[in-house]
Amino acid sequence: MADNEKRKRLVYRERDGEVTVVEKTKKSFFSKLSPRNLFRSCKGSKKTEFSMPKVERRDDGAAAEGIQIHASKSGRQPGKGGFQTRYIIPRLPHSCYMPCPPHPPWLDHSNYTWRRVQVMKTVGIAIRYGLDFRGVEFEFLQEQDISPLHLVQIGSGGQLTSNKMGSGGYSGMKRKADNYCRGQQYRQKQKKLRGFSPQMNYTDRATAACRRTMKAAILIQRWYRRYLARMEVRRRYTWTIFQSIEYAGEQDQLKLYNFFNALLTHMPDATVKPPGSEISSKSSSIDTVDQKYEDESEDGSLQSVDGGYKGIHISFPLTRDDLDALIDTFRKKKQQRLHAKYVAGILKEAALQLKRLPNLNQASTAISKQITICGDLHGKLDDLLVIFHKNGLPSTENPYVFNGDFVDRGKKGLEVFLLLLACLLAFPGGVFLNRGNHEDHIMNARYGFIREVKTKYKHNAERLLRLIERVYRWLPLGTVVNNKVLVVHGGISDITDLDWVRNLDRHKYVSLLRPPVTESSAPGAELIDKLEWKQVFDILWSDPQPGDGCIPNSLRGAGTYFGPDVTDKFLQKYKLLYLIRSHECKPEGYEITHSSKSGVPTSKNPEDSSQVSVEATEWVLLYLSLGHDRTLLTARLKCAGAPSCMYSILSSITHLLNVSGRMLVITIFSASNYYEVGSNKGAYVKLVGPQLAPHFVQFTTATPRTKKLTFRQRVGLVESSAIRELSGQILARRDQLLEEFLKYDPEQTGMISLSQWCTAMEEQTRLGIPWRMLREKLVTLDPSTGKVEYYSTFQEHTNSRRLSGTTVVETLYRNKSSLEAIFRIIDKDNSGYISMEEFSDACALLGEHLPQIPPEQLVDICRSMDINKDGLVDLNEFLETFRLVDMGHEDRPDGDDSSPDEDTNRLE
Amino acid sequence: MDDKGTLSDLDKRIIEAFVVFDHASSNTVDVREVGTIIRSLGCCPSEAEIQEILVAVEDEETSGSVRLDRFLLIVSHIIQERRLQPASPEKLLKAFLTLDRDGKGYLTKEFLSKIMMEEGEPFTHEELDEMMGAAIDGETGNIPYEYYINQLMWFATGWKTSC
Repeated sequence: MADNEKRKRLVYRERDGEVTVVEKTKKSFFSKLSPRNLFRSCKGSKKTEFSMPKVERRDDGAAAEGIQIHASKSGRQPGKGGFQTRYIIPRLPHSCYMPCPPHPPWLDHSNYTWRRVQVMKTVGIAIRYGLDFRGVEFEFLQEQDISPLHLVQIGSGGQLTSNKMGSGGYSGMKRKADNYCRGQQYRQKQKKLRGFSPQMNYTDRATAACRRTMKAAILIQRWYRRYLARMEVRRRYTWTIFQSIEYAGEQDQLKLYNFFNALLTHMPDATVKPPGSEISSKSSSIDTVDQKYEDESEDGSLQSVDGGYKGIHISFPLTRDDLDALIDTFRKKKQQRLHAKYVAGILKEAALQLKRLPNLNQASTAISKQITICGDLHGKLDDLLVIFHKNGLPSTENPYVFNGDFVDRGKKGLEVFLLLLACLLAFPGGVFLNRGNHEDHIMNARYGFIREVKTKYKHNAERLLRLIERVYRWLPLGTVVNNKVLVVHGGISDITDLDWVRNLDRHKYVSLLRPPVTESSAPGAELIDKLEWKQVFDILWSDPQPGDGCIPNSLRGAGTYFGPDVTDKFLQKYKLLYLIRSHECKPEGYEITHSSKSGVPTSKNPEDSSQVSVEATEWVLLYLSLGHDRTLLTARLKCAGAPSCMYSILSSITHLLNVSGRMLVITIFSASNYYEVGSNKGAYVKLVGPQLAPHFVQFTTATPRTKKLTFRQRVGLVESSAIRELSGQILARRDQLLEEFLKYDPEQTGMISLSQWCTAMEEQTRLGIPWRMLREKLVTLDPSTGKVEYYSTFQEHTNSRRLSGTTVVETLYRNKSSLEAIFRIIDKDNSGYISMEEFSDACALLGEHLPQIPPEQLVDICRSMDINKDGLVDLNEFLETFRLVDMGHEDRPDGDDSSPDEDTNRLE
Repeated sequence: MDDKGTLSDLDKRIIEAFVVFDHASSNTVDVREVGTIIRSLGCCPSEAEIQEILVAVEDEETSGSVRLDRFLLIVSHIIQERRLQPASPEKLLKAFLTLDRDGKGYLTKEFLSKIMMEEGEPFTHEELDEMMGAAIDGETGNIPYEYYINQLMWFATGWKTSC
């Protein structure tokens, strides 16, 4: 085939060394033209010369990987005196690094810029047509009014058929282009261009001025880009800090696993039994709960709307108007709290509604033609409202899947949760809710939802929490859209079996942190099959990993990592297109992983591509091909105020992604500014059309504050917050760190080398963050020797919380969240106090696992904890006791940080 | 590589910068990140130079990614040979002075935008917006470039002492 020959020829030439230039002119000046030479000649400086290592990869025929772009200066055939420049673009679209050709002196600026743009457009067009662009050859001419379409020339493969190219077909267009080149206009231009001889007079004043300007511009641009890059690095490591600390917290929570296990197994009523109820069997206690709710109609506090209540009134079944009223109430800054009666009402109704649903929601886009999927919201009501604002309220025509983690961390978890449930009630077919790992009482105990409910509904918190618990248990575990796309919170593992998941009894999983009960030591406790439990657990807790296989998640300490092979097998087994999950915060709000390399380009969806406005697509491609971030692009388009183009643009991004391989796992995260203002974008994904093509929409909940911030300010803000968090972690480990430092510094000079400091920090914290980069933020360096004054590690950082550097505070700081979680668990009735009974209950069950403690001693312990002697132990007292005891144990080898053990210490 | 003891401080610095972008802990980064990493290491390459480095470091088997060992080799070489060093602040100032043809001591927003978007290795709109956000003097709406250079320098000097 001629095409193949052509390619061979190219490869051969490349083997000779110079990769990028096919030289066709006799003039010696041109023979030296390569982008690099051009660049050099433009800059006129040899100082910045960078010799490019020989490009070996071209030898093995990998040249076909690149795109060859012919820049023909003249329209003449190669070999007839014109010259041709061929640029190799290593890979598209992700790395379309067009070697930026320097400014050839004979071209005027506008033309040059245009040329670059035009190349990109051309490439873009090819991609738009779903070409496998590897090995595609593009030719472009300088004439502006030739559409890039005309210039697409297929070097090999020939995937581009003439009908796709439009009426004239390729040959027609090529002819047109050629004719045009031969035209009058063209000749005129040539004439003009020839006016500049190749051996240009560089002293020509105008040109020299141009060159100076350009040199100046390049210099400034280089400086500025370096500056930006350094900001970007700061942004990245900030991210690492947040994520490491977040996962370290989850690990701690999981370390409490055994403790919770004991509590839940032996106090099955701890979370479901209303106080005073004497039923101990778990299954029957649930009935009682049901009973209790009905009985509550006589109960005054929840039911009667007292006269002072000025908030909204809603009635069941909920209607659209009620929903609007709810949204209105929630969004107001000084909101009138929704009456507890209505809160309870929504929760109760929702539980009933959810109860009817299968374990895996079956969503269909038969009516709506599209469906929106949102990821973690984490109590960020603003984000939810932004989504509703942008994408409309849910309805049968506009269905939503909310993929778990509605509560915790954010301030308005309850509002988010209620709003979602209200939507579910008002539009039963329009909202699908999945359970997330935070829809779990024990997670709530640590991550703030319980505290939130208690603050917001002081008097009814306990009842409401029970209702919430019940809703959790009935939340479906996942959603299947059109039997083609699985949406679950965490992911899958190598043992995930959808049929099993469909048939298990989800209701029995009060908390997923509750491990399987293998022995029925507690009377009436249901046997939970360990494998079944793992099915559910993996769905809610897993994360994808780039490598194959399935390994336990060491970072979170729970769930599994699943590799692309696991995904692949799973999708094939259930004939699914792809998997959508949430569970991880992503800087861009979404991420696509596990693309199958061998996958066919899926941009074959004719319906879809017809919708794509060519202009918008070109825009996108242009941007992408210039090596810029998708997010920048999105932001840019937002600025340009092109909402209607949005979808097409995003879909073309999807196209692009598809070209490089079929995406298999999509992570979607909808809480923007999750770690800190400016830390990340939120996103939701719309699955459109029969092919369920994913369109991503990103957003940032704009507060007046964030809008005005420049990139640098934003980075600075997030960074200082991260450093603050980090200082907390460092202070908590002061003793161990100091010990480690002293190992490196036997002579106690107070100085160690930077490397030693980094090693020590990582050794002790295991946070996996770039200590070396952070050194300036964390320690003082000796200016002359560059050594680290390691004591400064513990000094107060300018922005950090004021902590007195005593061990007591550190210990407390270290265990505070764990202790608080324990406190919340022991405090069964959620009163905020641990009563004597509650404490002895907890001790009793601990006693089953631990050496027996005589009951009289228990009383003593409890009394000793009750510092202000009011007969109840509040959280502060609880923490204080712990601190005192911990101080007493300081000389003990601090082998295990997990609180259950320390708890044991205390009890002993 | 295996023997961590033989790694120089420079290597460690490069590795750490690399790891920040190595999301999968697979000792690879996306080629798109290479420019940022190199720049964050204090180098000041042009886009074209980055492109050249890219060709050198890109993984042959899995195009689109760059492996640490290769990256380390090439980039440490570059840094050791003191190539791609940033120009001195004086030169930067000179560059601005070149643009400021009338010697007014400031540049107008329009003019600098035009230059940055059309000359050399043009900025994207985002880059421009960011630059303008920091560079423009709120009162006059112009860019008093000496002040702006000082701002940029503040980071640069911070960097130098830390090297």
